Amino acid sequence: MPATDFQGSSSPSLFGRSIMNLRRDQVHSMDNHHETESSQEHALEAFQRLVADLFQGLAGGEELLSLPWVCKLLEAFLLCQEEFRVVFFSNRAIVGRAPVDRLATDFFDRSVKALDVCNAIRDGIEQVRQWHKHLDIVTLAFDPTQKTIGEGQVRRAKKALVDLAIGMLDEKDTASSFAQRNRSFSRSHGANKDHRRAECHFRSLSWSMSRSWSASRQLQAIGNNLSAPRGHDVVATNGLAVPVYTMNSVLLFVMWALVAAIPCQDRGLQTHFSIPRTFPWAAPILLLHERILEESKKRERRNSCGLLTEIHQMEKHVRRLSELTENIQFPLAQEKETDIRNAVQELSLVREAMKGQLDLLEDQVRQVFHRIVRSRTDGLDCLSHHPV
Amino acid sequence: MASSGSSEAAMPSPATAIADVEAAEQLIHRWDPVASPSHDRMLFDGSDRADAELYLRAIDHLRQSLGPSSPAPASPSRSPSNTIQIAMARLEDEFRNLLLSRSAEPDLESLDLGSLSISSRSSDHDHDHDHDHDQNLSDAEDDPGGGSTRVASRSASSIREIDLVPPDAVQDLRSIAERMVAAGYARECAQAYSSARKSAVDTGLRHLGVERLSIGDVQRLEWEALEAKIRRWIRAARACVRVLFASERRLCDQVFGTPSSADAPFAETVKGAAIQLLSFPEAISIGRRSPEKLFKILDLHDALSDLLPDIAAIFRSGPAESIHTQAADILARLAEAARGTLSEFENAVLREASRIPVPGGTLHPLTRYVMNYISLISDYQPTLNELIVTTPSARFSGEETTDHPEINFPDLDNRTPLASHLVWIIVVLQHNLENKASLYKDAALSHLFLMNNLHYIVNKVKDSPELRGMIGDEYLRRLTGKYRQLATSYQRAAWVKILHCLRDEGIHVSGSFSSGVSKSTLRERFKAFNAAFDEAYRTQAAWFVPDPQLREELRISISERLLPAYRAFLGRFRHHIESGRHPEVYIKYSVEDLEMALMDFFEGCPPSVHGRKRSH
Repeated sequence: MPATDFQGSSSPSLFGRSIMNLRRDQVHSMDNHHETESSQEHALEAFQRLVADLFQGLAGGEELLSLPWVCKLLEAFLLCQEEFRVVFFSNRAIVGRAPVDRLATDFFDRSVKALDVCNAIRDGIEQVRQWHKHLDIVTLAFDPTQKTIGEGQVRRAKKALVDLAIGMLDEKDTASSFAQRNRSFSRSHGANKDHRRAECHFRSLSWSMSRSWSASRQLQAIGNNLSAPRGHDVVATNGLAVPVYTMNSVLLFVMWALVAAIPCQDRGLQTHFSIPRTFPWAAPILLLHERILEESKKRERRNSCGLLTEIHQMEKHVRRLSELTENIQFPLAQEKETDIRNAVQELSLVREAMKGQLDLLEDQVRQVFHRIVRSRTDGLDCLSHHPV
Repeated sequence: MASSGSSEAAMPSPATAIADVEAAEQLIHRWDPVASPSHDRMLFDGSDRADAELYLRAIDHLRQSLGPSSPAPASPSRSPSNTIQIAMARLEDEFRNLLLSRSAEPDLESLDLGSLSISSRSSDHDHDHDHDHDQNLSDAEDDPGGGSTRVASRSASSIREIDLVPPDAVQDLRSIAERMVAAGYARECAQAYSSARKSAVDTGLRHLGVERLSIGDVQRLEWEALEAKIRRWIRAARACVRVLFASERRLCDQVFGTPSSADAPFAETVKGAAIQLLSFPEAISIGRRSPEKLFKILDLHDALSDLLPDIAAIFRSGPAESIHTQAADILARLAEAARGTLSEFENAVLREASRIPVPGGTLHPLTRYVMNYISLISDYQPTLNELIVTTPSARFSGEETTDHPEINFPDLDNRTPLASHLVWIIVVLQHNLENKASLYKDAALSHLFLMNNLHYIVNKVKDSPELRGMIGDEYLRRLTGKYRQLATSYQRAAWVKILHCLRDEGIHVSGSFSSGVSKSTLRERFKAFNAAFDEAYRTQAAWFVPDPQLREELRISISERLLPAYRAFLGRFRHHIESGRHPEVYIKYSVEDLEMALMDFFEGCPPSVHGRKRSH
C-alpha cells in the first residue's frame, strides 16, 4: 500500500490522479480556485482510499461468508455511505445542477431498490432463526445430562432434524421433500395430512414480499446500466461522477453478497460486475466476488439456500446426525452413542455461535435500511432546494 | 378448566404408585400410532372427553414418577422418559389438530369496523381523518417512540377481542400445552402453535385487504391509486390490530397460561403479519416528497398514531416488542415525511415560474391551488400543530432569502410555527403574483390581475375561521388595504386618459366675448373620448373580475367618476356640437349608454357586435 501522501508523486497512477491531470490541462485559467479544488480532490481521493481499504480488509480477517464476515461487510457499507454523504453534501452547490443532479437522482433510485433487498434479507434472517429453534430442540433432545440415549430422545430429535432438513431446502425442492418426510415417519392419521398442508403453506408464509418479487431481478435493477464514468463525465461533474460510481458499485456488491449469503426469494447470483481496474477498490471487490462465486459452484453448496458458512455447517451436521439416527437399533452400541454425542456437540457449537450473531446481523440490516433512507431523503431534499 | 386429575392430595403407596405408572405407560403405548396404527381417531375430538382425560392423567402420573430420584429404567424402550416422549409426540399432533380443526374463521366482514375507531371519530367521512383528537387527550405521557406524544385516555372498548377458537377447545389446548411445557417440550408446542395459527392470521390479513407490496411496488404506483390504498389500509389496520392481533394475543395467553410463556409463540405467530402490515406506511414515508401527498400522509400518520397505544399493549413483551418499536419508528418517519412535504409545497410556491399571463387578468390557477391547499392545512390543524415545530424564518434564513431579497418577511411573533408557515406561504404567493403581474404589458390589467388575486386570498381566509385565526386580522387588513389600493391604481391607469378628454382647460378660448369655446377642440375632445371609451370597452369587457361583488363595486366606482363627468361635459358643451354639422359623429353616447356599456365590463367575454341604443 503506498503511503497516504497525496501530494507525493510516488503513488501509482490512480484514476483520481488522472482527474487532476485532466483538470489542470483544461482549467488552468482558474488559478484562484486551486486551493479549494485541491482539497476537493483530496477528499475524493480519500474516499477512494477508504473504500479500497475497507474491502481489502474484508478479503482477509474473518472467514468469508460467515456471520461475522457479513456483519463486517455491512459495517464497511455504513462507513462508505457516511463518507459519501460528506463528499456529497460538501458539494451541495453543484449537486443541484446538471449533470450532477441526474447522477445523484440515479444513485438515489438505485438505493431505494436496495431497501427491498434489505427487507427480503430480514425475512431470510428470520428463517434462519427458525432453523436455529429446531437446533435447540435437537440439542435438548440429546441432553448430555441424560446417562443414556433412549428411543424417545432419538424420535424427538429425528422429528426436529427432518423439519430442519425440509426447512433448509431450496424452495424449488419443497414439493419432493414432503414425500420423503412422511416416509420416514410412517404415520397415517388425519392430523398428519393437515400438518402437511400447514407446513406447505407455512413455507410460503415465511416471506413478506409478494409472490412475484425476485431478489435476482432486484439486483439486476440495482446494477442496471451501471458503467464507469468517462473522462468528460468526470470533468463535467467536477470529479463527482467518480464517488457516485463508487458508491453505486459498493451498494450493488453488498446487496449481491447479502443475497448470496442469506436465504431469500428467488436468489440468483448472475449479476455481472465489470469494474475498471484503475479504481483502487476494484481489485478487492472483484476478488471477493470471484471467491463467493467459487463457493457457490462447489458441489455441496450448489443446492444450498444460502451460502452462509453457518448454514453449511448446519447442513453438514444435520446430515451427519440424520445418518447416524437413520436405522437405529436399540439398545445403542457404545460406539454409536459416542458418535451421536459428538455430532450433537458439534451441532451445539454451531448453534451457540449463531445465537447472538443473528440478532446482530438483523440490527445491522435495519441500520443499513435506515441509513439508506436517511441519505436518500436528505439528498433529494438538497436537490429540490437547488432547482436548475 | 381441565384439571390434570392427578391426586396431589393423597400420597399413594409405593406399590400402587408403580402399578399406576405401568398402567399409565400401557395407556400411552396403546395410543402410540407407531406401535398401534389401527388407532386413528383423535383423543381430543370434541365429543367424549373421557379418553382424553385418562390420557392426560396418565402423563401426569408418569411425570410425577420421573422425580429426581427415579430409578434407572428396566428396558430403555419402556422407560418412563421414552414413554413421555411418545406421549409428547402424540400431544403435539393432537394440539395441532385441535388448532386446525376447531379454529373459527373470524367473520371480519360483519365486524362493525367503524366502531373500532375511537368513539368520537367518524371514520367514514371524505378525509377519513378526525378533528376531535383534543377531546380524548389526557395528560401527555412521554412516548419513547418519538413522533406523536399524544396518549389518548383510551376506552378499552376500541380493542375488540373475539373468540378465534371455541372455549372448550381452548381448554383442551391449555391442558395439552401445560403438559408439554412441564415436560420440557415448550419449543415443540410453540412451533406447533405458531405454524397452525400463522395461516389463520395470514388469511385474516388477506380478507381485510392487506396487500403484499414491496417498496418498489409502492414507488411505481400513481398517487391516486395510492390514496385509495391508504384509505383501505387505515380501515384494515384498525381491524388487524384491534381485533386480529388482540385476539391472537388473548388466545395465546389463554393457551399458554402465563404471559412469559405466551410471548414466544405469540411473536412467532404474528410477527410476519405485523411486519407485512407496517411495511405499507413505511413505504409511503419513504416516497418522494410531493405536495399533493400531504393530506393522505397526515391521515396515515394520525391512524397509526391512534393505533400506537394498542400496539404497545398487544406487543408489550418478548420478541414481539420490536413490532412496537418499529411502529413508533414508522410514525416518526411519517411525521418527517409530512414536514418534508409541506416544505416541498412551500418551495413549489416560491419557484412556480410560469410566464404566461392569465388572459383577462383573472384568478391565477396558482392562487386557487395555494389557497385551497392551505385551507385544507387548517383543517388538519391539530395534527400539524404538533408536527410543525420550526418557523420558516429559521429554515429560510439561508439560500432562499438571499435569492429573493425582495420578499418582505412579516413579523411572525406570537404565532404558532404552523401559523407562521401559512403566513409565509401567503407572502411568497403574493410575491410570486407580483412577478406575474409585471408580465402584463397593460398597467391597468396588471393592477386588475393583482387585485383579483389578493381579493381571492382575503376571501378564502375570511371563509375559514381556523385559517383566519392563524393568519390574523392584522395581516388580513393589510391585504385588504393592498387590493383596494390596486383598485385605485387600476382606475387611474385605465381612466385618467379618458376622463382627461372631459376636462375643462383648452376648450375655452380666452378673450373672445361671443362663443368662448373652440369648436374644433371640442370636436377633437368628443372624438378622443369616444375612441378612448370604445377602446376601453372593447378591451375591458374581455377582462374578468371573477368575484361578483368586487366586479359590481368596481363598476360602481368607475361610473361614479365617469358618469357625472360626462353628464357635466355634455351639459355644458353639447349645444355647440348640436348646432354644427353631423353631431352624431361626435356625441356618440348618452349617459345611459355609458352606464349600460359599463355593465359589460369585466365579464370576461369580448363584446358582441350589437347596435347601441342612442339617445340624444
